Amino acid sequence: MTMLAGILIFLGLALVFGLLLGYAAVRFKVEGDPLADIIDQKLPQTQCGQCGYPGCRPYAEALAKGEAEVNLCIPGGEPTMIEIAEILKVEPKPMEAEATEPKPKMVAVIDEDICIGCVLCIKACPVDAIVGTTKMMHTVIEKECTGCELCVPVCPVDCIDMVMEKPSLTNWKWPEPKVAAERSE
Amino acid sequence: MKASLRQKIINLIAPIYPMAKRWLYHFHGGVFPKYNKSLSLRQPLRTGYIPKQLILPLQQHMGGAALPCVEIGEQVKKFQMIAQAAKGLSAPVHAPASGKIVAIEQRILPHASGLAEPCIVIEPDAKQDTVENALGIVEKPKNIAEFKQLLLNAGIVGMGGAGFPTFAKLPDHPGKIKHLIINGAECEPFITCDDLLMQTHAPEIVRAALFMADLFDVENVICGIETNKPQAIAAMRQACQATRVRVEEVATVYPMGGQKQLTQELVGLEIPSGLHSIDIGVVMMNVATLRAITQALELGQPLVSRFVTVSGMGLKQPFNIDALLGTPFNELVELAQPEPKLDYPLLMGGPMMGFAVAHNDVPVIKTTNCILANPPETSDEPMACIRCGECAEACPVNLLPQQLYWHARAHEYDKTEQLNLFDCIECGCCSFVCPSHIPLVQYYRHAKAEVREIKQQAKLTEIAKQRYDAREARLERDKQEREAKLAAKKAAVKKQANEAPKTEKPAADAPKLSAREKAIQAAKARQTAAKNLNPEDPKSTKNSSTESSKSEMSAEEKRKAAMAAAKARAVAKKSSPEEPNNTKDSGTELPKPETSVEDKRKAAMEAAKAKAAARKAQQETNP
Repeated sequence: MTMLAGILIFLGLALVFGLLLGYAAVRFKVEGDPLADIIDQKLPQTQCGQCGYPGCRPYAEALAKGEAEVNLCIPGGEPTMIEIAEILKVEPKPMEAEATEPKPKMVAVIDEDICIGCVLCIKACPVDAIVGTTKMMHTVIEKECTGCELCVPVCPVDCIDMVMEKPSLTNWKWPEPKVAAERSE
Repeated sequence: MKASLRQKIINLIAPIYPMAKRWLYHFHGGVFPKYNKSLSLRQPLRTGYIPKQLILPLQQHMGGAALPCVEIGEQVKKFQMIAQAAKGLSAPVHAPASGKIVAIEQRILPHASGLAEPCIVIEPDAKQDTVENALGIVEKPKNIAEFKQLLLNAGIVGMGGAGFPTFAKLPDHPGKIKHLIINGAECEPFITCDDLLMQTHAPEIVRAALFMADLFDVENVICGIETNKPQAIAAMRQACQATRVRVEEVATVYPMGGQKQLTQELVGLEIPSGLHSIDIGVVMMNVATLRAITQALELGQPLVSRFVTVSGMGLKQPFNIDALLGTPFNELVELAQPEPKLDYPLLMGGPMMGFAVAHNDVPVIKTTNCILANPPETSDEPMACIRCGECAEACPVNLLPQQLYWHARAHEYDKTEQLNLFDCIECGCCSFVCPSHIPLVQYYRHAKAEVREIKQQAKLTEIAKQRYDAREARLERDKQEREAKLAAKKAAVKKQANEAPKTEKPAADAPKLSAREKAIQAAKARQTAAKNLNPEDPKSTKNSSTESSKSEMSAEEKRKAAMAAAKARAVAKKSSPEEPNNTKDSGTELPKPETSVEDKRKAAMEAAKAKAAARKAQQETNP
């Protein structure tokens, strides 16, 4: 009798928890692919397409599905690659030789004397950071430029240059003290 | 009396246990460096020095750089505004002496970065033309808004070192400030400019404080001065007699002059992490700032000069000077007879928080309280951290400097932030006590900059993402719109093509006709079109006619086929007259076995033929 009671109790418990889990699975269902979202947040969002995907989000989705290599993000450089590898729990892969360091922030600058107003760069810009219209001078909104360089090759008169941000009081940083002098523990 | 007895006891213990001095005040940590303040107090205050050139950076404060409002070659008078405040947080710049604007160009700033930024350069003349009452004071400001406008116009910023525009840190309504603290602590070694200012201009300081106390309806006005300035304390006490300003002696400890520390010491309130002092009803004003306010209030003079300590171990005659803003450091230092020769970088600020300037001809700005000429000593190489914990003992804001150091060194900036890196006041106590000479505070400054950059980057990334998504959405929408338009156009063209013969023919022979006739023609055409359309849709009529003709044709064929089948049946019947079970309606009925073999075969053949013909006919009618 006691054994039967025990079995019944546990069956009952199993039923209750089973229902509970089943309900939770429906109630707290995660929409979309959370892994792709997490990876997307780690990507630099330059939307440059250097990874071979049409933007950061598509690359993140491909990574989440396991269809892409982790070492394709060139603007992110090695730190991004390591972060992605950690998220996906795969072995980090070495970057291409020139892309080990994350690129310093560059912005595109249009030489407005040369610009012919062909709107090709406007079409190429993934973040709408270039303003202008047909046969009118174009210019880059420096604040919005991600430095993806997509506008550089399409310019028929080569009037777009990538330039480094000028150091100023607003972006100056205290330098890191030299660790080299310290004895390593 | 009780306090002084306590002090006496502590002073007795101090030689045996130096940290006993920490019992004298209420905040955590703190250090007791060698003060060397007497160096610069031996000489009287110097005044009236006019350098060959005055270099006035457009950015001498936190916030946006001022905008020049003079041109090269222009003659300016003393107190004339030469650069106006930018929008928002900013402060204007005024000419400290009459003279000619010789340049507006990039000059190296007295800033740790050593960057060059735009400066206005004035060559002073001997005339000393002055704009009297440059701020246009008729009477003292009656309300807070007027007062804040006056502070902005006078270019007054926090002169204790932060350089925060003073108008911006004051509330808009009375009653928000409970405690107004006059900061006369001046805790950094070597610096004596506030000490001397209090000794010589105590009434001016107190007048500004009282004016503000009335304007903002402040309950409690306290002045905190460290015990190592007895003359300043005496002068301030005298100036405060019969007023509601209390002068409090506070223990001599570094960093007593820090906003958080002095607030805690004088009113017993701690400024919570991430909040400003105004959030707990405290406003702190440096004595130099208050004096500048008095000058603006009473004389209408903007901020063009300040007390500067010129001191250091490398000077024979250190002094304090009421220096014009824009005076180059090296000219002032030459006055103090440097020994040895000045071939090392000067420090701006004290030895604890000051920094070496990139070039010794940088100018005095609104936040320059001290120019320090300390010949470089053989600096000790940083060694490994031995985890002694001295830094945590000394930290006046109760942080864990050692942990912060490990994380900052390992570039784990998120962890430094979790350890409240941003509460660090960069006082340098930890570096001061470190037996391994690790430049701890530099690590924190760097880590702070990194964290800020990471946050900034994250914000930019988010914006880039939004813009990218918005662009994708727009392109998609455009594409759909284009497709929809194309489909609509196609449909329209098709429809037009159908209607074309009826509606457009009259228009074709129209050209020779006059406008009126054309109109008539068009109307007629419309009428005919309407007629055509009226009984039935032209398309549908046409369709139905073709449909019906088709069905007619197929009906004829059917009939033919049926006739052929009937003929066949008749033939079959004829050939088998004896057949008892006559096939009544179907030609598919096979002849019965009673008939002769010959006849049977014939009939069967005929029937098959008929069947085939019927099938053929049927197939043709129903393709």
